[in-house]
Amino acid sequence: MNNINKQYEKIKKENRMGLMTHVVLGYPDLSTTRDAVLIMAEEGVDFIELQIPFSDPFGDGPTIHNANTKALSSGFHVKDAFDFVSSLHEKDAVQIPLLFMTYYNVIFHYGIEEFCKKAEEVGISGLIVPDYNFSAEAHDHFLEIAKKFNLILINFVAPDTSIKRMKKIDEDAEGFVYCFARHGVTGAQKNIEASLLSYLEKVKTNMSVPLAVGFGISEAEHILAIKVSADIAIVGSAILRSLEVGGVAGVREKVRSLMEVL
Amino acid sequence: MNLFSKTQFDADEKGYFGEFGGSYVPELLVGVLGKLSLEYEEAKEDYKFIDELQDLYQNYAGRPTPLYFASRLTKELGGAKIYLKMEGLLHTGAHKINHCLGQALLAKRMGKKRLIAETGAGQHGLATATVAAKFGFECTIYMGAVDYARQRPNVFWMKQLGAKVIPVEYGTKRLKDAVMAALQDWMSDVGDGYYLLGSALGPHPYPSMVRDFQRIIGVEVGEQLQLQEGQKPNYLVACVGGGSNAIGLFHNFLDDENIKLIGVEAGGKGDKVGENAARLQGQPEVGVAEGYKSFFLQDSDGNIAPTHSISAGLDYAGIGPQHAHLFQKERVKYISVTDEEVLQAFQKLAKTEGIFPALESAHAVAGAIRIAPNCQKDEIMVINISGRGDKDLFIIGEELGGDSWKEYLEERSKIIKE
Ligand SMILES: Cc1ncc(COP(=O)(O)O)c(C=O)c1O
Repeated sequence: MNNINKQYEKIKKENRMGLMTHVVLGYPDLSTTRDAVLIMAEEGVDFIELQIPFSDPFGDGPTIHNANTKALSSGFHVKDAFDFVSSLHEKDAVQIPLLFMTYYNVIFHYGIEEFCKKAEEVGISGLIVPDYNFSAEAHDHFLEIAKKFNLILINFVAPDTSIKRMKKIDEDAEGFVYCFARHGVTGAQKNIEASLLSYLEKVKTNMSVPLAVGFGISEAEHILAIKVSADIAIVGSAILRSLEVGGVAGVREKVRSLMEVL
Repeated sequence: MNLFSKTQFDADEKGYFGEFGGSYVPELLVGVLGKLSLEYEEAKEDYKFIDELQDLYQNYAGRPTPLYFASRLTKELGGAKIYLKMEGLLHTGAHKINHCLGQALLAKRMGKKRLIAETGAGQHGLATATVAAKFGFECTIYMGAVDYARQRPNVFWMKQLGAKVIPVEYGTKRLKDAVMAALQDWMSDVGDGYYLLGSALGPHPYPSMVRDFQRIIGVEVGEQLQLQEGQKPNYLVACVGGGSNAIGLFHNFLDDENIKLIGVEAGGKGDKVGENAARLQGQPEVGVAEGYKSFFLQDSDGNIAPTHSISAGLDYAGIGPQHAHLFQKERVKYISVTDEEVLQAFQKLAKTEGIFPALESAHAVAGAIRIAPNCQKDEIMVINISGRGDKDLFIIGEELGGDSWKEYLEERSKIIKE
């Protein structure tokens, strides 16, 4: 069984919500990224998104975009991502599922087959690629190739995704479905939109996989607000912000505050 | 007149031109792009929409633009008979107004309230701000901070038209970053916002839709040349940034394989990474960015590479997917010319014909200067003068104006300070 599904069974057994957190690899440098990941694992986070930086991060707001740019300009390369994950598993004995998050060209340029093969080798469990959606599958066969290497390619739904399309996405969905909480880019925000819950209910009725909710989820109170309908909360920019403000200690504090309400 | 015809080189219903194009976007844009495709397919069949567009082309933009026989340039180059398609005479000074009118009509039809656009040279932004004013839309224009600085006159005009102009401070601070900023803005406002893309690129249906609104250029060339020469052209030459003016000129002639088509890319200052925007020279690399698959200048990890061109409108790392397809099928030949050749071409057209081309269009002129002398005297070459040079006053002034231009600027700034 894929590690993502195993972790989700554990979450269910513990009768709580799951938490996925996020780091940008190489920002501000790889050793800080490592410290942050280890803290997240220690604090009991369920899944971690390791973002491989890209020059044109389509779905990211200014906070994460700048982190991407800085990681690249300090010399981060895709091969460093694989080495990093290897060492997390081998040296640091990290057990929870790790997912690569990046933009499609990073993978396409590396060679989809090569990338997936390498990702499986170093022990990655899944891939999150916001600018790939299944309408490209007939040309790119990305989903098919990911499967071949036992990687879960995470699918997405948005507030305006039609029921018909949800059902279609559900046919191939595995692990969990990433629900964009709102229209926009990544970035912390104050309030949760009122319509979010009815949208999540719609997803729940029409899809068979657990619901992970991200984009604008930044505070414990946001998690509380979606708890009735969501299975996993995804927090990105807010943690990056706490890293920038308070270093890795800031990350620990932030993660704790989120874990408390799961 | 048949505005919307198909060729063997067009996209399938998912927006693929061969292996290129498609729609590589976050799920957040899938719904709104789907609606746009449907609405566009309907509008194309709606005679009222077409009538309104043709009326605007003629009475607002100033179509048809002249097809002008450049007799002195022809004589000087000593080869093909050269005609200039004068898109620069259009309202707002470039071909961009063609696809802005088409898309604004579509936005109106869809009940949108706000236009969002990116711009490089500022010509597309200017044309968007213009149609926003004309139709009563709100308008937000994104412009890379580098372009914002070098195309200040257009920034000024856009603001006068009531648009909000936002310099984009991240990435390479050029056109590609502006495209992304605009897409992201749209992602946050899919209800009221209409993304008015400025070239034949981006996710489906934009490459096909923008082309359809530009193909009037080639349709007119066909008719005008028939009247003036009683024949078809032998060569068509256009500059290629994202590819809208070039595909607009070429499309009507794609199926007639006797007609030679030449696209001219920005060779910039040299061959090194970051010195040019020549995506199809050397060993072109396929990639996916900004919602479409095509050839992109990129580094060994697939990051989109920095570019340079003297003309902001060609300073772009990607190329529209239909051009990628036409390149692969060898239907169009793509060459590149340097900044220096471009400045020479600018001066040559000014001195032989009394016409200032935009720096983008001067690339096409430079391409023609290279090729025309080797053509037969009875062959006809049409160059697309996609824009006029007025907007480039400050760049050309710096390059060609010498000390007296600098003195003038210093004097002006002194007067302003006082
Ligand atoms: C006058 C002119 N020509 C050409 C271009 C390049 O765009 P495209 O390749 O889409 O025609 C621009 C872009 O700003 C322009 O202003």
